[in-house]
Amino acid sequence: MNARRVEAITQRLLHQFRRDRRTLALLFGAPLVILGLLGYLLRGGGDVPKMGAVNLDSGQLGSLVASTLEGSKTVSASSMSQADAETRLRSGDIAGYVLLPADFTAQVQQHRVVAPEVHLEGSQPGLSQSILQSVSQSFVSLASQAGGVQFTPRVSFLYGGPSFDTLDYFGAAFIGLVVFFLVFVITAVAFLRERGQGTLERLMASPLRRAEIVLGYMLGFTVLALVQSAEVLAFSLLVLHVHNVGNVALIFLLEALMAIAAVNLGIFLSMFARTEFQAVQFIPLVIVPQVLLAGIIFPISTEPGPLQWLSHVLPLTYAVEGLRNIMIKGADLTWSTLQLDVGVVLGFCVLVILAGAATLRRRIA
Amino acid sequence: MATETYAVDAEDVVKLFGKQRALDGVTLRVRRGEVYGLLGPNGAGKTTLIRSLVGLVAPEAGTVSVLGHRMPQLDVLAHVGYMTQQAALYPDLSAEENVHFFGAIYGRVDGVRDALELVDLWDRRKSVVASLSGGMRTRCSLACALVHKPDLLLLDEPTVGVDPQLRVQLWDRFRKMAAEGTTIVVSSHVMDEAERCDRLGLIRFGKLLAEGSVAEIKAKAGVDRLEEAFLKLSEVSPA
Ligand SMILES: Nc1ncnc2c1ncn2[C@@H]1O[C@H](COP(=O)(O)OP(=O)(O)OP(=O)(O)O)[C@@H](O)[C@H]1O
Ligand SMILES: [Mg+2]
Repeated sequence: MNARRVEAITQRLLHQFRRDRRTLALLFGAPLVILGLLGYLLRGGGDVPKMGAVNLDSGQLGSLVASTLEGSKTVSASSMSQADAETRLRSGDIAGYVLLPADFTAQVQQHRVVAPEVHLEGSQPGLSQSILQSVSQSFVSLASQAGGVQFTPRVSFLYGGPSFDTLDYFGAAFIGLVVFFLVFVITAVAFLRERGQGTLERLMASPLRRAEIVLGYMLGFTVLALVQSAEVLAFSLLVLHVHNVGNVALIFLLEALMAIAAVNLGIFLSMFARTEFQAVQFIPLVIVPQVLLAGIIFPISTEPGPLQWLSHVLPLTYAVEGLRNIMIKGADLTWSTLQLDVGVVLGFCVLVILAGAATLRRRIA
Repeated sequence: MATETYAVDAEDVVKLFGKQRALDGVTLRVRRGEVYGLLGPNGAGKTTLIRSLVGLVAPEAGTVSVLGHRMPQLDVLAHVGYMTQQAALYPDLSAEENVHFFGAIYGRVDGVRDALELVDLWDRRKSVVASLSGGMRTRCSLACALVHKPDLLLLDEPTVGVDPQLRVQLWDRFRKMAAEGTTIVVSSHVMDEAERCDRLGLIRFGKLLAEGSVAEIKAKAGVDRLEEAFLKLSEVSPA
């Protein structure tokens, strides 16, 4: 071991970094961006899940529970009629409601049992959990007033069901994410390699039109991406048994659109990098924020306001929502929400295809 | 197209890279069927001049016409072959797959065998490029540039690293192609190659300092070895 030789390597690396401002910026900027985002997401005082309280009770205990719920800090509950609650549940406006029956007070006083109906939207396990917790807490205060009562809520789900778990919720999103992420990285690196090894210069000196180059790349990688999508889908459904009530062809369609978008995003962004090394740096800049904000892990409805706005601009948000709509809610193309999701992803595809073709300059010097 | 006298007609081409004048008013005319040699030291502007002919470099001033078409023009590039200074190949494809790919881009896959035989790589055609020797890669790159039998062939130092025997062979083929009507513009540092050109251009500091046949250049410098003439004529200081 020769210390001077080791030092020579260390020095050379530091010199190289000094030339590479972009890498330095990334090295010291990206962690702050990512951690800042995460902190804002988790601590930013975002919205709590919305729920309804339907009080049909003729006695006073029902309104006691309802007002306890309304005062809760872990959910935002408001009183409403049952019909109202049902429509708002279906539209996704509230994540659940609790139904206090007409004989609620009587049941508590005579049998010491409370069995309220809790209706949950069910597609987001995290929200369902918060609501169940808040409901049971509101009964704790009831129990202290009325003496010991047995609490057995009767839970029903609009989508999913009691066995619907976190994997089912994440699975739908990850099917799209895995494809998007891998295809993006592979395309960007392949395109940069073409530039680095000089073959792009050769292609530019040929009668090829830039649209032909972009299209050729797109088709080649799309073939790969489609095979990968099919593999991911089959594995998720057949091996992991991820919850799916939707049309498999529709899932595949959305995945394919995401793959095409990823290919073109890769081509487009590789125009802004000179080396493969720099291309990989787009991962924390482009991919990580999307993963945090697209509603994959943290439900968008509970994000702080400004981040919600950002989430609604990210195309991945719509892709993820679309996949969940199909797989969890069984949406088809007659649903307006799914039309929006597919429309946005399609629009994004067109946008990056055009951007890719426009930045691939005929003259590269 | 064949009625044009000049295969290359570049006038007063200026190209700046920042403050660097890579081309400083170069006028270059190459007749059809001519073998034109570009000589000049490192950084003289040879590569930049060749790249400007295929539209890879957008000149700040001046005009470039190739095969009778004002550049940049995509369709005329179908009749131009360009061999870059560094072998530009796909390292994970075989020699034949590389040549076939470029043939397909020009719609001329029928030329693959001829091109590979010309550079003496037919026997090694199945070898992956990454496993070829440096000189073989250069030859493969040359094969890619002429697979579509172009009317104008631009070669940027095509014989660097090629062994003397094959170099002589290649030059015989270049002369034969020129006799069949192909125009060749070739940059080089090798004097015995320069001797085989019809005309030479001496380029330095982005300027064409002298031009003419080998005999004319020697006469101009008043010496009888091309190497000395080259040194003498490039002693001019930059303007
Ligand atoms: N892409 C570029 N960016 C900046 N400067 C460049 C670029 N390409 C060439 N130059 C500069 O232009 C000048 C001419 O370069 P060029 O490559 O044409 O020289 P050359 O005659 O081909 O040299 P060599 O014999 O070494 O190949 C050089 O000073 C070079 O630094
Ligand atoms: Mg050069």
